[in-house]
Amino acid sequence: MELTLFYIAAAVAIAAAALVVTRLNAAHALVWLVVALLAIAVIFFLLGAPFAAALEIVIYAGAIVVLFLFVVMMLNLGRRSITRERLWLEPGMWIGPAILTAILFGEMIFLIASSDTGDAGSPIGPKAVGEALFGQYLLAVELAAMLLLAALVGAYHLGRRYLRDRREEAS
Amino acid sequence: MTGADLQALAPHLVLIGGTLALLLAISFVRSHVLALAVTLATLVATLFALPASNAAGARVIDGFLAIDAYANFFNALFVIAAIASALLGYRYLERRITLAHREEFYVLLLTATLGAMAMASATHFAAFVLGLEVLSISLYAMIAYPEEGQAPLEAALKYLVLSGVASTTQLFGMALAYAATGSMAFEAAFSASSLLAVAGQAMILAGVAFKLSLVPFHMWTPDVYQGAPAPVTGFVATVSKGAVVALLLRYVVETGALGAAPLVLGVVIIAVVSMVVGNLLALLQDNLKRILAYSSIAHIGYLLIAVVLAASISGAPMALETGMVYLAGYFLMTLAAFGVMTVLSSEAGGEDAERLEAYEGLFWQRPLLAATLSAAALSLAGIPLTIGFIAKFYLFAAGAEGELWTLVWALVIGSAIGVYYYLRIIFTMTKTPAAEDEGEAREAAPAAERAGAWEAAAVVVALGAGIVVFGIYPTPIIDIARAAAQAFGG
Repeated sequence: MELTLFYIAAAVAIAAAALVVTRLNAAHALVWLVVALLAIAVIFFLLGAPFAAALEIVIYAGAIVVLFLFVVMMLNLGRRSITRERLWLEPGMWIGPAILTAILFGEMIFLIASSDTGDAGSPIGPKAVGEALFGQYLLAVELAAMLLLAALVGAYHLGRRYLRDRREEAS
Repeated sequence: MTGADLQALAPHLVLIGGTLALLLAISFVRSHVLALAVTLATLVATLFALPASNAAGARVIDGFLAIDAYANFFNALFVIAAIASALLGYRYLERRITLAHREEFYVLLLTATLGAMAMASATHFAAFVLGLEVLSISLYAMIAYPEEGQAPLEAALKYLVLSGVASTTQLFGMALAYAATGSMAFEAAFSASSLLAVAGQAMILAGVAFKLSLVPFHMWTPDVYQGAPAPVTGFVATVSKGAVVALLLRYVVETGALGAAPLVLGVVIIAVVSMVVGNLLALLQDNLKRILAYSSIAHIGYLLIAVVLAASISGAPMALETGMVYLAGYFLMTLAAFGVMTVLSSEAGGEDAERLEAYEGLFWQRPLLAATLSAAALSLAGIPLTIGFIAKFYLFAAGAEGELWTLVWALVIGSAIGVYYYLRIIFTMTKTPAAEDEGEAREAAPAAERAGAWEAAAVVVALGAGIVVFGIYPTPIIDIARAAAQAFGG
């Protein structure tokens, strides 16, 4: 049973990911990316990691992709972008993602209703994740902090160049 | 984590503390000299923390980082390369960057060094990935650092996209290896019979080969070397390659990742093709950065002899020693070559001094710089009395010990081809410039600013002296490397 559910979720993830790469429209691609991330969250849930699944949705699908969407939509403000935004909101665009999300939603309903842990092993909760992060993987967390610092400083420097170029174009 | 663990981690902690101190210093006072001073103080303190770390004894911390004499040998190389890059970069940034901030460069330099140090110690896939990404992310921004021109941005973008693909391949390989062995630690038993494990190892090795720019994963190298600013190119060529080699040797020895015959065959083919193709393509170039890019492809190809030897249990100590001595030599000569280029680029405006014509008559105008570049070129060619000869001699010995005759023959043929273009660099420098007055004009113009680049010139001359001194008397490096290799894993 679990295997079937896994294959369905995996198929949804692959289909959505393929659509992310092939879409020419950045906003549409991001919507598909949300679907792919939701499918991965379902797979995490099936594997007995509900906390990782929740984080996947809250952080990736929720925070990061929505941030991407905002940035993409806020770039190039002007009259041209209004017509473009109208194109993005064309009716019918939402049908595909909605169908795939409905499949995932159905899976989740089924899983919660059947509520058997299956043979995936014991579920890993937030406490176990926290203990691993700040116990065994403490050094990994520290290294990740330095990774983010490097990315931040790099993005700051390159972003300033971009801003200056735009200012020169404007003047 | 115990007190002894913290003592072993002292170099990393000092480096992280110094990075944060530098950030704070920048946020209060924007001063280029101060940023350089804090950076140098941090790096020197890190260098002095290394013996303290060694005194704590070899230990594996949380199954994540192994701090031993082997790792600390490479850490010393990375820190010295970072000191050289900071000193070389100072005048370069001073001249080239006028509108944007210069200080962030040093933050990125320190984080890149930290990433390299983490890789040299990695005994866990998570440490592997995190160290590699800290290093790569810092490098993307360092490559794209100059404010003018499209070339650095283009180089950084190429490096970002291709390196992203390589990292993904590698991560997929790790997932397969994890599925096969059930462990993310390096000491996991590797079973050569499992198809999953072999496929995983092959994907990991492909990712590593990309970072080492081995043929056929080398397409990015010349473009990135050419587009990146000269001091950064030197750092990419040494530290980013060296960190991956340090990791690869440890990985191969600890996991027996080359346990399957097809994998060994693949590595041998990659090594032979890299040696031959790298040297042949270098013959066609007129640009010193591209020559050095192709030459680095060939050099890392030579180094794969040590990696193949490391796959056999009896050969492991010799392989590790070879890797350490070879990289020490490679660091010295590559940094010296890019250092000369940086000094000349800092003085001239416009493009980096990368065309071979820019070096015509250098012997008559700047004898010290020309002598250093000659020493670096002769060393890269493997001429006796330079560290390059000692390094190459080690590879022959390693190849003979493992009876890897195909690789040894490829090494001989590759080196023979290489001599031509290395000598061509020296020959170019002895030429008198075509038009007499043009040469004088070039000499007269930057004469006023020339006196300023003394610290970069001093670094370059010190590196050149190191090539010759350790070429004549290599015992200190060999002793340290041998002791570290014998103690490895024990």
